[in-house]
Amino acid sequence: MFNRSRRTLAYWFALSMGSILILFAGVSYYRDVQSQLKAFDQVLSQKSKVMATSVQYRLYGGRWWLDLTEVPLLGNNALPLDSELVYARWYTAEGYLVRFAGTPPSQVLTTAPGFQTIQRDRQQALLTPDKWLRQVTLPVFQNEILVGYLQVATPLTTLRTTLAERRLFFALGVPITLGLIGLTGWFLGGIALQPIRGAYDQLQRFTADASHELRAPVAAILSNAQVGLIAPLNDGTQQRQRLENIVTLTKSMGTLLSNLLFLARHEGILTAEVLTKVDLVQLLPPLIEDYTAQAVAQNLQFRSSLPKYPVNLQADPELLQQAIKNLLSNAFKYTPPGGTVHLRLLTQAHRILLQVEDTGMGIPSSDLPHIFERFYRVDTTRSRQTGGFGLGLSIVQQIVQAHQGQVTVTSQVGQGSVFQIELPLK
Amino acid sequence: MMILLVEDDPNQLEPLQVALSQVGHIVDGVEDGETARWLMSEKEYDLLILDWMLPSVSGVNLCRQYRQLGKTAPVLMLTAKDTITDKVTGLDAGADDYLVKPVDVIELLARVRALGRRSPLWQGDILSLADLQLHLSSLTLEREQVKIELSSREFQLMEYLMRHPQQVLSRDQIERALWEWGTEPESNAVATLVRRLRQRLETVGAKDWLETIYGMGYRLSNPKGT
Repeated sequence: MFNRSRRTLAYWFALSMGSILILFAGVSYYRDVQSQLKAFDQVLSQKSKVMATSVQYRLYGGRWWLDLTEVPLLGNNALPLDSELVYARWYTAEGYLVRFAGTPPSQVLTTAPGFQTIQRDRQQALLTPDKWLRQVTLPVFQNEILVGYLQVATPLTTLRTTLAERRLFFALGVPITLGLIGLTGWFLGGIALQPIRGAYDQLQRFTADASHELRAPVAAILSNAQVGLIAPLNDGTQQRQRLENIVTLTKSMGTLLSNLLFLARHEGILTAEVLTKVDLVQLLPPLIEDYTAQAVAQNLQFRSSLPKYPVNLQADPELLQQAIKNLLSNAFKYTPPGGTVHLRLLTQAHRILLQVEDTGMGIPSSDLPHIFERFYRVDTTRSRQTGGFGLGLSIVQQIVQAHQGQVTVTSQVGQGSVFQIELPLK
Repeated sequence: MMILLVEDDPNQLEPLQVALSQVGHIVDGVEDGETARWLMSEKEYDLLILDWMLPSVSGVNLCRQYRQLGKTAPVLMLTAKDTITDKVTGLDAGADDYLVKPVDVIELLARVRALGRRSPLWQGDILSLADLQLHLSSLTLEREQVKIELSSREFQLMEYLMRHPQQVLSRDQIERALWEWGTEPESNAVATLVRRLRQRLETVGAKDWLETIYGMGYRLSNPKGT
């Protein structure tokens, strides 16, 4: 299930990021082509202008004569401008061919002035290796009279090679980047799903545990009752034993159910209407009294230290009492006779600390991160004897979190544990 | 049948054990996986009933290990897990049947009977030796139209004897076959049980069928025939 979500996430991520990438690559390639072509055209137009300036138009014998002898490439005496030009042509103002160098052209000027890209057919291409040409047709004016058209062309090979290189770069780079984006998406999806997965696993564990915990007493009650029915009626003590079993089981199931209902009812942060002003120094003594009596019965030392001044905070007194009771019961349950349990109330600038310290058996460090989870028990067999369900600490945590506080624990096996409730002072 | 019942909750183990032994099975009830593992490799059982969730080793693992030992006795899984995946996992691990808790005792007993019938050693619901018949489902002994109901203990001994007719069975053998693992029978327990069974046999007129072979043990045979 999570792999599917992760795949979907990675897929959509790659798809959206990929489209952006392709769009970006396309636009940047297009702009590249444009700017390269512009630069190329500038060079070409400069060359043709140099040629055009060499055209001489003279009055000779009462007529205007055009002298092309000095024009590079076209003229007789002219030196070649450079070898890059494939051809040069001169047309009259009317568009008739006068002179040319290089590939033979048509007799009449067919193209409009300006730049063109020409693809030469195979026959023409035999003469020169270049297939693609950039041609410019430049109208030449002298004394503001159109004297003719100069047409030159130069191979596009260098430009095309550069662009081909650029295309190759994109052709390789885009898929590789797409792949990387896909992998990143998969990785990010994993990170994004981690907490969800954790919460889901915890919920799964809770339902599995709850079903086990709820079914176990029902199963025991059912089989006890049925065996009681099957057994011969004359055995009174056995019958009685079974009924007693059923009573015990039903009671413990009742406790379990009320704990579960408690957890379900008090989820989320408490609203301001429920909270009342509570003085902890007033709230705790009755509790302390109860547990002092229990300590005597269990041969434990129970000490408490409360400040002499009132400690007021906004809280639900019953819930808070329940949380402290749970911590104290745990401490009493897991501390051997002769040990000490210490309840402390400390105040700090913006918070109060309630500590329950015991000299009990302690909790192994591998269990510490889980002890607030519902149904988590450090030792299953032990808690069966003590009748715990593994819900007490979850209830504490839920109550404290409902008060926007937090509960923490430090423990050392064989030394004891300290549970600390931290509540904000408002 | 000799049954190994593994269930970590004593509140559930005890009544099931009682129910199964009341219908004449010999049940070794075990609460932890380690003991169960040791027992199933050491003893021969006719049926295993395993709880899935055990503290140290899970029931499914036990079942797998049992099959790896090459043992073929049917395995019945008991569990609070009720999803299809769980059932498939359980059955694929080598279990023959699957019951979701809370288990109805009547249904459990019926399933145990059904699994017993699948055994290659199953000889029907009635064991007979000449005209003496033992009804396995009702724990009754019948001969010449006289029927008598046996207690589960007497029945267990009678069944064991009828499955091994004409053989001399030592006290040791009987103890091992009839007493649950971990229980220590008193020194004269077998003798007492044999005496009680003889009284029952007397009511159907077959007192002399169960002989005591001095220094060796006991033998069930038809004194008139072969």
